[in-house]
Amino acid sequence: MGIFIHSIAQISNQEPFSDKWFSEPIIYNERYVRSIEPDFSTYISPMITRRMGKIIKRALATALHITKQTGIDNPDAIITGTGLGCIEHTEKFIAAMLENNEELLPPTYFMQSTHNTISSQIAIHLKCNGYNNTYSHRGTSFDSALFDACIQFELGEIHTAMVNGHDELTPNYFLLLDKIGYWKEGQITEQRLREGNTRGSFAGECSVSFMLGNSLRPDSICQLKGMELLYQPTKEQLTNAVDSLLQKNNLTRNDIDVLVTGVNGDRENDVIYREMHSSIFPRKPMVWYKHIFGESYTSSGLGLYAAATILQKAFIPQSLLYNACTEEITIPKNILVYNHFQDKDHSLTLLSSCLD
Amino acid sequence: MIPQILITGMGIVTGLGIGKTNTLQALRQKQTGIGKVHYLQTIHKEFPVGEVPLTNEQIFQLLDIEPEKIYTRTALLGRIALKEALQEANITKKRPGKIAFISGTTVGGMDKSEQYYTDFLSNNSKNEYIETHDCGATTNLIAAEYNGVFDMMTTLSTACSSAANAIILGANLIKTGKVDVAVVGGSECLSKFHFNGFNTLMILDKQPCRPFDKTRAGLNLGEGAAYLVLESEESVKEREITPICKLSGYANTCDAHHQTASSPDGEGAYLAMTKSLKQSNLQSKDIDYINAHGTGTQNNDETEEIAIMRVFGDNVPHISSTKSFTGHTTSAAGSVESVISILALQYNFIPVNLNFSQPMNERSFIPATQSEPTRTLKHVLTNSFGFGGNDSACIFSRID
Repeated sequence: MGIFIHSIAQISNQEPFSDKWFSEPIIYNERYVRSIEPDFSTYISPMITRRMGKIIKRALATALHITKQTGIDNPDAIITGTGLGCIEHTEKFIAAMLENNEELLPPTYFMQSTHNTISSQIAIHLKCNGYNNTYSHRGTSFDSALFDACIQFELGEIHTAMVNGHDELTPNYFLLLDKIGYWKEGQITEQRLREGNTRGSFAGECSVSFMLGNSLRPDSICQLKGMELLYQPTKEQLTNAVDSLLQKNNLTRNDIDVLVTGVNGDRENDVIYREMHSSIFPRKPMVWYKHIFGESYTSSGLGLYAAATILQKAFIPQSLLYNACTEEITIPKNILVYNHFQDKDHSLTLLSSCLD
Repeated sequence: MIPQILITGMGIVTGLGIGKTNTLQALRQKQTGIGKVHYLQTIHKEFPVGEVPLTNEQIFQLLDIEPEKIYTRTALLGRIALKEALQEANITKKRPGKIAFISGTTVGGMDKSEQYYTDFLSNNSKNEYIETHDCGATTNLIAAEYNGVFDMMTTLSTACSSAANAIILGANLIKTGKVDVAVVGGSECLSKFHFNGFNTLMILDKQPCRPFDKTRAGLNLGEGAAYLVLESEESVKEREITPICKLSGYANTCDAHHQTASSPDGEGAYLAMTKSLKQSNLQSKDIDYINAHGTGTQNNDETEEIAIMRVFGDNVPHISSTKSFTGHTTSAAGSVESVISILALQYNFIPVNLNFSQPMNERSFIPATQSEPTRTLKHVLTNSFGFGGNDSACIFSRID
């Protein structure tokens, strides 16, 4: 038994539902870029989406895209990670409450403000009575959702799972996070992000859905071999966690072909990745993705998508390479995805190609 | 052989007061923690609430927190409950073995966000509270004092079943050998945001709530926090600690019907109860007490009753909703009511259903009004249902 990724769908600042970013990413210089919206009516009737916030529309679209692609329209589990939840509706309700001094408030914004609206709206739409969960844990919200799915598979409770990562970034919340140093000042360029010698990153939004299953199918993209979540690990604990994850899968450090990291241009954020890379995988290619998709609490979901796409297409495009690696790049078979948030919560995810 | 999940510590704070002793005393003396709005800054004083009887400043003093530290009320309540749970389990510093901290919340730092929202947007005077808004930040804050104790951490946010799902994740982490100990539960303070939100749904009662009563007219909101220390058998043996009870079964299901209403046949609730019974290898007749979700709203109590009757038939065991004591503590309800259920098991009494006078219909079960159980409590079941149909149930059992 293993865990396989059968299908992935994304809505981001890149062309929706497409891998075009892999060869020709859209380059932005603005500090804050919102997602490119697909034609939602292809997926869901405008009658239904009329009262929905952006995040719910996007979530239903990515969910329905992968159910259609795989034919798995009743997954055994629906698990979502979201850092801020339905922040658009949350803000609208706060604003109305303050403006009207707690009187004559409409219920709609509140009803769709809770974080679990995403997983439950998908379940209501697909009529899934199975396991349904929502994680909201800062930059490892998506990682927590994926980890929960791995545990459900391991316990034999499920055969299929839909795992999602969703965050919308409203103009107000962009401003709030800007005040506390989340975003770079001035124009965004790849070079500035790569140098990573100032504070802040490039702001994005994320909607991504994965369909997982415990049997290999002709359409399987890659295998998810294992995961680890760590809180405030010492360097030694992090190294041990990497080695033990590899060992459990009969791999050595040398078998890892690519390290995918959440480097985002922020000085304090990036140094953690660089140190990990140079101490554990010094000669291996290091990949980044946040310079393309931007930073959000669930952008690690797009990191997993980037890693899976590298395995599927069996090469690393130049645009994803962060370092000038010394080793000749072979066809990637095993990828370690490493993510941390403010050096508190860390995650490791091991992906392998389907053929091994 | 399925590994046992043992409970070795508990902490709680609600409108009933701080700690297990005060909670137990109020439950046995049938004294509610629900009363007039005291602390929450709202114009809607007409709705009773279950507030923790302390100001934030008093909690700072109680926990000996330096006054310049940045805290939200949800984080402060969480710290009170976490401290008690870890003390009972004798976990105060880093020790061998892996420990997870899993907390549930939805309100998170909303109490400060709603207070300073205008400042956030128009000046820089309250910027330090921007990063305490989200749920994950709340969990980090609750655990901040325990440097190096926790090896992993995450936050559940499934509205009113958040804490129950934290318990379930913690148990699964132990079952799969990922950790030896999981400290699980939830915390939620009252906020103007969700107080007004529930009001727009027209499900707040101006009277003390009357779960499962014919005259019920809605819920009373409450606030609180509770944590349980779950531990593997091996760890319990190694640490030579006496477990309180065990978690023998649990389930997470989805009603998949409507964002804020449950299905007419209570399908999600039915599945949560039957699956947790199956996992615990118990039959419905083995359950001695049900701590119902029982919010006191028309919709919840009606459909929860239907689901309970589908599982238990006409032989419904002792049943009550302790939301008549604490109010609905929303994201914390799953762990608050688990701690109450375990206290019932430990001290062999039935927490009554306050304010009950007449059954919902002629076939309805009669919720408990007497504390004396008809037999020794061995297995107790607690339900937690959330918006969007996130339904969970947990069964706690006496250790033979």
